[in-house]
Amino acid sequence: MKRILAVMLAVVALGVLAFSAEKIKAGFIYVGPIGDYGWSHAHDVARRIVDEKFDWLETIYVEAVPEGEVETYIDQLVRQGCNVIFTTSFGFMDGTLAAAERYPNVIFAHCSGFKRNANMATYMADFYQVYYINGLIAGALTKTGKIGYVAAFPIPEVKRHINAFTIGVREVNPKAEVHVRWIYEWFNPAAAKEATEALIAEGCDVFAFTEDSPTVVQVAAEKGLPSFGHYSPMYDFAPDYVVSGQLVHWEKIYEDFLVKIYNGFYTTKNLAHVDYWWLLSQGAVEVGAKPGMVINPKYEAALKNYVINHPAFGKISVYELVFIRLNQMADPGITFDPFQGPVYDRKGRLVVPEGMWMSYDALITMEWAVEGVVGPWPGEP
Amino acid sequence: MRRLGPFVFEPRLSPPRYIVFGVSVLAVVVALLAAAPVFLGYGQNPWQAYAAIGRGIFGSWPSFSEVLRRAIPLILCGVGLTLAFRAQFWNIGAEGQLLAGAVAATGVALFLRVPEGLRLPLMFLFGFLAGAFWGLIPALLRVKLGVNDVISTLMLNYVMAYIVEWLVHGPWKGPTMRGFAYTDAFPLAARLSFLPATRVHWVTLVLGVVMAVLIALLLARTRLGYEIRVVGQNPDAARYAGINFTVVLSLVMILSGGLAGLAGVGEVAGIHWRLRSPSHISMNYGYTAIIVAWLARGNPLAAIFTALLFGLFFAAGDYMKTTLGLPFQITGVFNGLILFFLIGFDLLMFWRVRLARKEGAWISQAGS
Amino acid sequence: MDFASWLISTVSRALAFGVPLLWGTLGEIYAERAGVVNLGVEGMMILGAFMAFAVSQSTGHPGLGLFCAALIGGVAALLHAFVTVTIRANQYVSGLALSMFGLGLAGLLGRGWEGKPLGNTLPTLTIPGLSRIPVLGPMLFQDQTILTYLGIFLAVVLWLLLFRTRWGLAIRSVGENPSTADSLGINVTLVRYLCVFFGGLLAGVGGGYLSVAYRPAWTEGMTAGMGWIVIALTIFAAWDPLQALWGAFFFGALYHLSYRLQAYLAPELLKLMPYLFAIVVLAISGLGGARWRRRAPGALGLPYVRGER
Repeated sequence: MKRILAVMLAVVALGVLAFSAEKIKAGFIYVGPIGDYGWSHAHDVARRIVDEKFDWLETIYVEAVPEGEVETYIDQLVRQGCNVIFTTSFGFMDGTLAAAERYPNVIFAHCSGFKRNANMATYMADFYQVYYINGLIAGALTKTGKIGYVAAFPIPEVKRHINAFTIGVREVNPKAEVHVRWIYEWFNPAAAKEATEALIAEGCDVFAFTEDSPTVVQVAAEKGLPSFGHYSPMYDFAPDYVVSGQLVHWEKIYEDFLVKIYNGFYTTKNLAHVDYWWLLSQGAVEVGAKPGMVINPKYEAALKNYVINHPAFGKISVYELVFIRLNQMADPGITFDPFQGPVYDRKGRLVVPEGMWMSYDALITMEWAVEGVVGPWPGEP
Repeated sequence: MRRLGPFVFEPRLSPPRYIVFGVSVLAVVVALLAAAPVFLGYGQNPWQAYAAIGRGIFGSWPSFSEVLRRAIPLILCGVGLTLAFRAQFWNIGAEGQLLAGAVAATGVALFLRVPEGLRLPLMFLFGFLAGAFWGLIPALLRVKLGVNDVISTLMLNYVMAYIVEWLVHGPWKGPTMRGFAYTDAFPLAARLSFLPATRVHWVTLVLGVVMAVLIALLLARTRLGYEIRVVGQNPDAARYAGINFTVVLSLVMILSGGLAGLAGVGEVAGIHWRLRSPSHISMNYGYTAIIVAWLARGNPLAAIFTALLFGLFFAAGDYMKTTLGLPFQITGVFNGLILFFLIGFDLLMFWRVRLARKEGAWISQAGS
Repeated sequence: MDFASWLISTVSRALAFGVPLLWGTLGEIYAERAGVVNLGVEGMMILGAFMAFAVSQSTGHPGLGLFCAALIGGVAALLHAFVTVTIRANQYVSGLALSMFGLGLAGLLGRGWEGKPLGNTLPTLTIPGLSRIPVLGPMLFQDQTILTYLGIFLAVVLWLLLFRTRWGLAIRSVGENPSTADSLGINVTLVRYLCVFFGGLLAGVGGGYLSVAYRPAWTEGMTAGMGWIVIALTIFAAWDPLQALWGAFFFGALYHLSYRLQAYLAPELLKLMPYLFAIVVLAISGLGGARWRRRAPGALGLPYVRGER
């Protein structure tokens, strides 16, 4: 039976191939330089992976594109024969939409936005579950009860990550606090360094962050303090001190999207409702100090020895808890969400009632701060 | 008179126009030759690359229009800076003044209740005033308190950038932007129209050219223009003649800042239709305009052409990034080289070169 | 938080953050004292940052890296010197061109070096004995690299050189009134070349500090505008190496505090504090009358043509 099915699938696949044997030329537009070792770098790593994987695919990229100039660059990429264009910054949204309307025969995909069109999809790989897992570990490692978080901009994406992280921290260490400093830049090593030093001076002893360089990791390591890497694998920058971190696999989304175009499943007519919001269960993000290393072995013992009395699982070590939660979220039938109710904001208001999960819209517009977050919170409702 | 090898150099105080033009073209050509190895390093044939860039930019009206579009803020800021530099006021602050204009325009576009027909004119008016205000501060600081103009204008750029950052993250964050740090989009009545088949917001372009003419007239034909020139060329004489420095420098910086403010209005009303992070509103236009004004040698009309030259550089940079697939940093290397050659060739412009008539000692510097 | 711990961390961070600014400013002071504005500091610093990282990474010697950083900064400065002193082209445009060129070149050369940790970084020192002194020890004698102390030492030496020696007099006269200097037999061209070159050396070290000590890694655009702060600090310090010390460390303290104080004040406003403060300090000192006002070297920004002035 299985064999017959496989043969049938193969035949169907061949048939589809025969019908859509055209080559795909995909253009990628990045907001930063690919040498930033952060956001744009990660997209470019993914581009190279898919480029090598499929011989029917040709890719080109443009880096350091100012947000207001995206249409100019799209024009040039289209002129060069690109039939699929990825734009990878929220600020490219309106320009991409305008271009999508102007070039109805080109497929567009815009990262992190919310506007779509018949030929324009949206996609995002989000870290909030990963930050929650990191938070569990951080809560177990802090001795001072103060965890530092160096944050880029006070926008919902970053706020969601800090909140998820804090929920994880408080699940294993209800008295711990997460101290936040904003640097108002996606990339600025000096700002990240001084913000980290400020947090160290205030007694923080474990660090997480949102900034495109390994600065926080390096500064913490100098002082012998553990931290969590962000975006790119940062284990090598401090092998003794990077406990875990957030890793992204944009190639999962790019591969899925491009293959579906190649197979004729996605066309210029049917993308108005295609929105990738890919998380742990799709493999678009990963918990780890580097790929394949969820927890740095140097910290395994400490986490195994940190036993808590968990309301759901009873007596359990944080090490076990991490993998239980990870499996709950990595499983396609997700059985746990960091923001499952009851969740209170730090002003004492119930934001997610008992037994409820947050909607996608509520997640991506999150402005409040959860209990346990300490520090300024611009735009707090 | 100077002697260098077999050549003799004689100073030429005001070079004729054709010499200026010829030498500038020569400088660009030599710079292109000098930059050729960079292309070779990336496996490109430089001549083919130059040809491709030329075709790419001049090949069609829409692509050439990009040169015009990128030149617009440079014309306005550059013309304003020529005025400031004529008065020997080192206005490094066009960047901040441009942003101030963008902020004021956004305020009018989104929050002021006015008849729709008046909205754009008011945006330009308030943009001018905001830029003028931001330019007036360093003028008064210098005249009244002796604060160095380079440092005050430079620092005020940072201050204004953080004010913009604060506005888009705080009070002006757009309710429709789902928490991202942008204002809402401008209403249609607050957007500038384009030339056909382009994104050239022509109103600002026309404004820039008109302003260049007006400032040129101001400098050449009015009493204020005369006073500005005296203040710049000979401050002691200006004091002796009883020229009021406070008034002259204030007016200069009101105009200089105001013009940069107009450029900011053009950027938000013609390109972005919203206020966003400052580094994306202005691609260092305010700083580039310093070069534009210097290359124009303080001549507002010449600033139009030097601005166009930089518009060309920007457009060429875009083209190199996309079509030739070169790393974006190459634009910086390339523009830096061209600039070095442009100013380096000044030597040819202000010195007449001829062969030495008589045999003599080959000394490099003979006093005249 | 008690007062002592605030003091310790603020001063200690001010020193660490102030180092690249101090080195850059000292160099720029010498260039400008000789009458040459070099707006290319940002470009020289980023070239230094790249070179220091690349050489340290390849050889394992951060000291050698810093040496090469100084050299590349110096070479870049020589380009500026040639264009502005020999060809007598506009100093402002040449400097801006150098910044563009340097940022671009460092970015090009640096492709592929990002994302790699540096094996041997410039070590931070704990000075035996002194570091044990309460408050002063952790404030001044821990967590600093050799460049902090060298920078302070250099500032003092450069001040003495500039104001107490004949060489210094020669440099200052070249910047104030080159034709007089010339008539006194001072080689104006040579002095200007040397000072601009020296400025480049120091800017290169300042940049190198960023990539081998302050935050040991290479990233595109990692100087993030420090070169422009150096230009401002040069004026702020009234072209005086000793005042550059206070200026650089004052700015460093404010920069650090803009993150430390976020617990109490709005972060957006704190970010603009160091820049606003610089203007306010100058304005207040301007209230004190002419004696307190910064006066630039007389021939600053002007090319020297023999016999014209």
